[in-house]
Amino acid sequence: MAMRRKGVSPTVTLVTAVIIALLVGVAIGYFIKPSAPTQPTTTQGGVKTVTITVWAIGPDPPSEYRYKNFLIAADKLNKILAAAGANVRVKVQGQFFVRPVEWEEYRKKFYLAFKAGEGPDIYLTGHEDIGYLASNGYIIPLDDYIKEYWDTTFYDVIPTLWDACKFQGKIWAVPQDTEVRPMYFRKDKLRELGWTEQQIEELPIKVKNGEFTLWDLLQVAKQAVDKGIVKRGIIHRVKEGYDYFQFYLAFGGKLWDPTKNKMVANKEAWHKTFDWFYQAVHKYHVISPNQFSGDWDKDFHGPATKGEALFISGGSWHKGEWVKKGLLTEQQFWQVMGFMLHPAGEKGGKPVTLSHPLVYTITTLAKKRGKADLAAALIALVTDPHLNANHAVQSSHLAILYSEISDSRYAKDKFLQDVAYMLDYTHFIPGHPKWALYSHDVYTVLRAVESGELNADQATTQLIQMLQKDLGDAIEIQP
Amino acid sequence: MAEEKGRSAGKNHRKLLTRGYLYFFLLPSLAMIVFFFFIPAILTFLISLTDMSYTLEWHWVGLANYIKMIQDPWTPLIFRNTMFYVFTTLTFFNVGTALLISLLTVHIEERVGSAFRAIWLLPRITPSTVYALMWLWATRGDRDALLNWILMFFGVPPVEWRLKLPWLLVILVNGFVGASFGMIIFTAALKSIPIDFTRAALVDGANTLQLIRYVELPLIKWPLMFVTAYQTLSLLTSFEYILLVTDGGPGLYTTEVWALYSYHMAFQIYGGGSAQYGYGAALSAVLVAIGLVLSVIYWRVFKMGEMMVEPKIEVD
Repeated sequence: MAMRRKGVSPTVTLVTAVIIALLVGVAIGYFIKPSAPTQPTTTQGGVKTVTITVWAIGPDPPSEYRYKNFLIAADKLNKILAAAGANVRVKVQGQFFVRPVEWEEYRKKFYLAFKAGEGPDIYLTGHEDIGYLASNGYIIPLDDYIKEYWDTTFYDVIPTLWDACKFQGKIWAVPQDTEVRPMYFRKDKLRELGWTEQQIEELPIKVKNGEFTLWDLLQVAKQAVDKGIVKRGIIHRVKEGYDYFQFYLAFGGKLWDPTKNKMVANKEAWHKTFDWFYQAVHKYHVISPNQFSGDWDKDFHGPATKGEALFISGGSWHKGEWVKKGLLTEQQFWQVMGFMLHPAGEKGGKPVTLSHPLVYTITTLAKKRGKADLAAALIALVTDPHLNANHAVQSSHLAILYSEISDSRYAKDKFLQDVAYMLDYTHFIPGHPKWALYSHDVYTVLRAVESGELNADQATTQLIQMLQKDLGDAIEIQP
Repeated sequence: MAEEKGRSAGKNHRKLLTRGYLYFFLLPSLAMIVFFFFIPAILTFLISLTDMSYTLEWHWVGLANYIKMIQDPWTPLIFRNTMFYVFTTLTFFNVGTALLISLLTVHIEERVGSAFRAIWLLPRITPSTVYALMWLWATRGDRDALLNWILMFFGVPPVEWRLKLPWLLVILVNGFVGASFGMIIFTAALKSIPIDFTRAALVDGANTLQLIRYVELPLIKWPLMFVTAYQTLSLLTSFEYILLVTDGGPGLYTTEVWALYSYHMAFQIYGGGSAQYGYGAALSAVLVAIGLVLSVIYWRVFKMGEMMVEPKIEVD
């Protein structure tokens, strides 16, 4: 018979090992905890170089001047410093993120880098993040800097954009760019459908006047699909995002109640929105039930630029992306593409678009590193009508400064001039720290509507339940 | 007497030395388990007791995340999805197909068998994103997508695979990768069966099916059990292909499994500041607990202790 070996039991050994490992881990963590890396301040030949780190994202490649403008601004500053005989130089170091890095990934990288003490001094983000960043100590208020550079730069910023930079009465960011989200339409396909040039030209005006609604859009899209003129009547973004809220707004929905500082979900408007999407997919068959699990190139850019889709719910930056990528030449774009507001949900309603201003923030890390003043100076230099106009023209974004509108390059850009009126119809998304949960719940439910799992009634009930669970008091549910 | 004492002391010293060597050699694997399982598991549990978000701050909330999980209306659906996914993929692919390929390929010419097995290894060695993209392209709803194009020759109209048959897609994508693991283990086990057993069975008049049923399958009992247990745990925690292919859709959490839900809650909400590391960790902690319980059940039901029993003859 096998004898049982005497000795320490495996359980005791294992428990001891775990405890030792934890102690070792804590000790290692305590002793070798890396200090927050400070970007090097080097001295060479008596000239001190201060490094400022900047993070920015496209994710569309043409928006690279969100970062590159800092390099240009630093170069300009260094020339002035050299001419003045100063013994300080500025070096901009950082990253510009493009696809496949999307917004979620970019934000995640920032939060983790920040926690590791390696985050940037200047961080570009969407204005809706300000509430969260400010209330959790990631960024510093900029009111003093805004005052300091007001007369030389910031007085010129289009005032409504400052509203998107405020949180609890303070200004936490400087606008970088803004955009509108047009509904593009293929003029060539409307011609094939029998529309006259005059009808095509008048479409954006009819939309603007609330005479052509989202339901009319479905009718036209259906005709084009039924006649085999296009494969897809309407396409929209293929991933989670904020564009879908335009349809809710077009049906009279509201997102924010400024008097109560609460987000708003209007049941009736959501019901109409879901009903429109359900019918678009399952009755009119003009939106693919698979649009949400699609691929950007195959299910959005491809159909839009190859004429396989009639209506494209996109963004002003897409024009820049299509031309820069060579999917359409400038000339082709004007031949085949038209653009208009997202139509009102019902006759007499208001058409809409959505703007999502991007903003530069200064991190608390910059303050700890003693670089906040320099970061602010750089942001003031970058908020330059010519530099920003170059970015706007390259990436099809809209001006943030009044003087930028008269910049020679910007003024010559017909597209930017033509979409400028849309800013009168624009909405901003709320800067509430829990906004992302609202957006995520809507995306989750809308995806189920398009897949056919939920009809409008079920989707509305479902969304309200989810919002109540996830947002509690942060949201007001209206009938 | 003194001589005997000396002999005994020497024996004890040798024993101590042997034990010392044993622990020394076990140390690397022990360290691996401690650092890569125990510590992360403990940390996960601790995080699950907080409302940690992107700020990575430890605000203790007790069992709030577990209560939220119980009250979460999606929990039952996601649990059912997970059970369905694990059971189906395991049965039909990770064990079923793996066994079928092994049995088929060891009973045909060696060169052909090896080539066939090598082909089955391709999904395993292809980077997961590339592999998932190939599936996505092949299963698009278009007429010219690979799968629909093939079906067209049989008069079948184009199918929106991701929309109409998302589970089939998820199971196939995972199964084609998963089968290769069991295939290697089973093939090795089948090849290690002494040829005498086969000859004896053949002399007794067994046909191939009888050979498999009465000789080979009983002799690969342990590898079969091991693969079943191992792959169950592996499937429970796997989600990358589901994330890439359906992202839990197409409908309302249609193909969302527990591990994917944990990932979504912790990391994947569009927009800033909505990471729910605490809730994600609570979901993961439950997964660890389920894994441990299943391990014990498998250990008992399959009597795996017998596989590792010490030799009956004591060598000292």
